[in-house]
Amino acid sequence: MAGLEDEGIGPTHLTQEEVRRVCEFLYRRTGMVFADSRRYYIDRRVAERIAVTQSGSFRSYFAILRSDANHEIEHLVNAFTVNETYFNREEHQLRCMTSDLLGNIVRVKDRTEAIRIWSIPCSTGEEPYSIAMWLMEHWSEVDSYNIEIVASDIDTRALQVGAEGIYSERALMRLSKDVIGRYFEALPGSRYQIHPGLIDSVQFTHANLIDSLDMARYRSFDIIFCRNVLIYFDDSSRRIAAENLYDCLRPGGYICLGHSESMSRISSLFRVCSFSEAIIYQRPEADHGAK
Amino acid sequence: MPFVKHNVHSPATEEGHREEALASPIAALCSLDAETRWSAARTLGGRAKAVPALADALSKEQVPHVQEAIITALMRIGDEASVMVLLPYLRSQDASQRSAVIEALQALPGAVLPFMVSLLADPDSDVRILATELTRSLPEGDSTRLLCELLQREQHSNVCAAAVDVLAEVGTREALPTLRSCAERFAGTPFLPFAVSVAIARISGTES
Repeated sequence: MAGLEDEGIGPTHLTQEEVRRVCEFLYRRTGMVFADSRRYYIDRRVAERIAVTQSGSFRSYFAILRSDANHEIEHLVNAFTVNETYFNREEHQLRCMTSDLLGNIVRVKDRTEAIRIWSIPCSTGEEPYSIAMWLMEHWSEVDSYNIEIVASDIDTRALQVGAEGIYSERALMRLSKDVIGRYFEALPGSRYQIHPGLIDSVQFTHANLIDSLDMARYRSFDIIFCRNVLIYFDDSSRRIAAENLYDCLRPGGYICLGHSESMSRISSLFRVCSFSEAIIYQRPEADHGAK
Repeated sequence: MPFVKHNVHSPATEEGHREEALASPIAALCSLDAETRWSAARTLGGRAKAVPALADALSKEQVPHVQEAIITALMRIGDEASVMVLLPYLRSQDASQRSAVIEALQALPGAVLPFMVSLLADPDSDVRILATELTRSLPEGDSTRLLCELLQREQHSNVCAAAVDVLAEVGTREALPTLRSCAERFAGTPFLPFAVSVAIARISGTES
């Protein structure tokens, strides 16, 4: 905010009721919850957006937000969230994958059939590589199956970064030295190159979640990691995305969302599965061929 | 490493398979197989000519996820005809079906607006409550006007509460006199004056 004030843009301070109005809107729209104690934080972020959008007042800004003009909801949510991604970011879901999901999947799967895992959106690749490393490190049956990891994003520049597999030291902050030693090579400038074998393990592709034609290329996944993207969609896009994801999963397959997201807020297509490590959604087995 | 790669098919190839499998998506809506009906509904999304067939299918469909796909298909068409198909399902006894229809209609504010006056005057109070939720996605001037008109005549406290809740988010200063009047009319129903006070604070706080 100080920067904006330095630039001659006066700060807009929100009343308590305006903060609550924004919080309720964001909760209803995205599922994100902000406590009253974070009022000052919210005030500053919204004030920044009022300045950037040149709205002039909270009322004008709130109208822009409600209509989602120029993807304002996404901009505001981005202002609230830490956008950086890193390896093993949602470790509890990775633990759930190896402690519960894969056991259920292989129970009904022929050993000759590949286990298919999809990371969408995969951004710059930290998530799909994390999945691959986690499987290597934590799943005793990893060598008994063929495993296919597909990583997709709408942003081709992000895909390019993922395919190159070079990361900053910060992206590796959750990995142990042993794991870094096994899967990365240090480069000059505190950068790390991921092991070529791991790069070769992940197939990077372009995909748009709300384009049904595009999504028709992706079928029969056992697990989909789809985190922190549905909250940005409007109601109609979320419905379409949920149906597309349903089609992409095999019956009985699982979908992992971000911690502030709930598929039951979006669609009744999926069943809620509560595991010890995480809440995961499942395409019901019984739907296949239901009359 | 145990990882393998397979080629992801081109969209044209996959869609070709889907079209081949569904030579007539409208006929496929009547298939005995639920997955075929699901695929048919997904294929027909956005095709205005399919509205009568989708309407007929929705009236007969018993499988929830296929119902959802039909509702989404109508939402993707999004014209007046598809809205007219969806509106009667606001009276559905199935809560998930009502929710799906509300969500679809909320995505179509322009197409829904011409129906709002009659929905908010519906003899069924449950429909009026759901209709207040539809005003949430309308431009603030339209939603404020419609909800104030409702509040001025509405006798059912739950309907008023639903309208007040929406006004707390989308209402403008023009709603303040109607809100105060509503609080006075329902002074004996404590939750409503409280809800009104919250809405007034929100609106006043926003516009002061």
